[in-house]
Amino acid sequence: MNEPDAITWELRGIRKTFGPVVANDDVSLALRRGQIHGLVGENGSGKSTLIRTLCGAHQPDSGTILHEGRPVRLDNPFASRASGIATVFQEFSLVPHMTVAENIFLGRWPGAHLHVDWRGMRQAARRVLADLRIDVSPDAVVRDLPVAQQQLVEIAKAMAANADVIILDEPTTALGLREIDHLHDLLRRMRERGAAILYISHRLDEVVRLCDVVTVMRNGRVVSTAAETPIDVSGIITLMIGKDVTEHYPKAHSEPGEVLLEARDLTTERGVRGVSFAVRRGEVLGLWGMLGSGRSAIARALFGVDPLTGGEVRLRGRTLRIHSPSDAIAAGIALLTENRKTDGLFFNFTGTENITAANLRDFDRGLWLDVRSEHKVSRRLIERLQVTPEAEFELVDRLSGGNQQKIVVARWLAAGAEVFILDEPTQGIDVGTKVAIYQLINEFTGAGKGVILISSDDKELLAMSDRVAIVRRGQIVRTDKASEFSKADLLESSDERKRAA
Amino acid sequence: MRRWLAHPLVGPAIATIVIALLVAATTDRFLTAGNLNNLALQVSIVALVAIGSTAVIFIGGIDLSPGSVIALLTMVLACMLKFWEISFWPAIVLTLLLGAGIGAFNGFITAYLRIPAFITTLAGYSAYRGLAFMFNKGSPVFSASDRLEPLFYGTALGIPLPLIYLVVFFAIAYWLMRYTRLGRSIYAVGGNANAARLSGINVRRTQLYAFVIAGLMAAVGAVLMAARLNSGSPNYGAGLELQAIAAAVIGGASLVGGRGDVLATLFGALTITIVQNGLNLNAVPTSTQNIVIGAIIVLAVGIDMWRGELGRLVAFRRSSASVQQKTATQGEKP
Repeated sequence: MNEPDAITWELRGIRKTFGPVVANDDVSLALRRGQIHGLVGENGSGKSTLIRTLCGAHQPDSGTILHEGRPVRLDNPFASRASGIATVFQEFSLVPHMTVAENIFLGRWPGAHLHVDWRGMRQAARRVLADLRIDVSPDAVVRDLPVAQQQLVEIAKAMAANADVIILDEPTTALGLREIDHLHDLLRRMRERGAAILYISHRLDEVVRLCDVVTVMRNGRVVSTAAETPIDVSGIITLMIGKDVTEHYPKAHSEPGEVLLEARDLTTERGVRGVSFAVRRGEVLGLWGMLGSGRSAIARALFGVDPLTGGEVRLRGRTLRIHSPSDAIAAGIALLTENRKTDGLFFNFTGTENITAANLRDFDRGLWLDVRSEHKVSRRLIERLQVTPEAEFELVDRLSGGNQQKIVVARWLAAGAEVFILDEPTQGIDVGTKVAIYQLINEFTGAGKGVILISSDDKELLAMSDRVAIVRRGQIVRTDKASEFSKADLLESSDERKRAA
Repeated sequence: MRRWLAHPLVGPAIATIVIALLVAATTDRFLTAGNLNNLALQVSIVALVAIGSTAVIFIGGIDLSPGSVIALLTMVLACMLKFWEISFWPAIVLTLLLGAGIGAFNGFITAYLRIPAFITTLAGYSAYRGLAFMFNKGSPVFSASDRLEPLFYGTALGIPLPLIYLVVFFAIAYWLMRYTRLGRSIYAVGGNANAARLSGINVRRTQLYAFVIAGLMAAVGAVLMAARLNSGSPNYGAGLELQAIAAAVIGGASLVGGRGDVLATLFGALTITIVQNGLNLNAVPTSTQNIVIGAIIVLAVGIDMWRGELGRLVAFRRSSASVQQKTATQGEKP
């Protein structure tokens, strides 16, 4: 039963759809004891859907899950955890103000009834940590620990729960090189101990270095099984991208004009370290980088969210003094934030009130707001962006995601900006709305405005940008024409390690 | 028709009317001219103070201080008129300015020094009443001025003045909240402070202004309180802050901020006052009255919440699939 290489968990023919979208189609995958199994694929290839099936977060439409050869149902996350599956997500499940020991045994504190055996718990935690050779005090408070150590605690927590399968979803995005090494050592020790590990990462050299076998997914299907996949970076990239790369991006190239916005040696305390670039009229500058690379921090710096500690921003050749978003808006800069729910929309407002929120001063007649011309502006934009007409009077939480995204875009059209910073403008919206946003980008450039496009979708970024700048660790490491980059370039450039070596 | 029913005023207005009908059914004395006049006088102070409480609730805060501010300001006003030989109207204006200043102080501590509103105004609740006791050796000031009482008991064109104050102040408050940039900013900050900042709205200044409104309305309440009793006392206004908050909440203002209608607060205040009045007319003791008011607060808020919850339950069923898909794509960033 416990011999190494035995299959402990197996997925067979898993299919999962969300409405018309087929997220997983006939996916099979086997996890073996003492093996680190890599799972790779581009955004939207269906990896996360598959993990969520294993976590019990949702049920497959068809297909079977086998545990030790017997079919099981994972009705909910508790069932999954109880059968020995532990998942470490990018967002941790630790309670920040509790100690490491309390977190490791969260919900399972030893003791009877109201009594908690704190001493026993600390000793047990110390054993678990020592066992995994994690150098963290059981008495340390979690929020005082660096992110990397929190991650190790998260894994210790999974181990203490007697998990025999550990799923790690992008575990290294927040980690530095040495911390990654540390994590990998830990995973290898756990492999020796007979744990089955499923490792999901976009950093392919890591995958190649660490994993014993790799499954590659594309468009919801397994394109290369563990037995087939070659363990080398370029082979995997070819499999990931495939040959059928034919998505439609209606990019209109307009002749770039004079320099519109120029950043010189931009520096902030929150992740921008001496960044310089220029955006011309009619040009789209794409920013590519990993989560936390500083691409969104650059946007925040330009928009006056994070104060500059060095450098300057020039618009039309004049140096700007930007201390707040309202200064940036007044100067003609717009920021479409990455997360429209937390940073974009007012859910207590109608579509109209959302659209005019950034330029209320235009409607301010001293003692009153000119509600009539406010509605005139919003109706015009709602028609232009083909938002559903009821948005004018309806609260935005009754609108679809695509309509909501159009509403926040409309806000910046109403504000009459010249430079548009679009942070993940097509995240989580349907294809039709995506194309509408692309066409809008074309309109901007056609009208001589400048666009800074931030996107994790490499196809989109390469297709819609005129030039691309690669951001790593708060700095721009390469700027070039978009046509000079290949997809593989972008994927490899996210590999900090390769460059650093 | 559906839009009309969904208007935030409809629920509280119906509740007020139903309660009024209930009370009218239990006693003949409710619908007499004398009693209705009395009712207008009773509701006026709470309702006016509640305008300020509502403004603070709209930005997502809470104001526990107006009862104590009223105590302090009645003492200051009475002292000005009786001992400090300040003439009548300047004293009134000074009182109002002082109230606005206290509001600005609360707002500064909350918005700029980032102390939560609950803490700031809990401190104010304690401190301003303490300050009130420092005037006139802590004793009430009686018979402050002959000119005070007409402010409260006077009439214009046969209409009691407090009723006119109510109409004027609520009209202004409604206009301010619905049709000015400040009002829109208040709703925006309460609805999503992050988004408000990223839309160029000065979040802190907006929060400060909401507190200034609260301070000013507490001062209006203080002037009326002093006028009603022709005196100032460090014991006035006790518990008024909670009645004002109750009025806002019964009117449907969301304590999370950003949602509600200031006119509904008037209905909230009316509901409380009519219940008290009806119970008084039926000779129900004060202790029982307080219990009934407590039950009404929970019921009013509960009905509001359950309504939303039922709606959300249906919406959740429909959207849970798409939410999972969304989180799935978010988890896959490089």
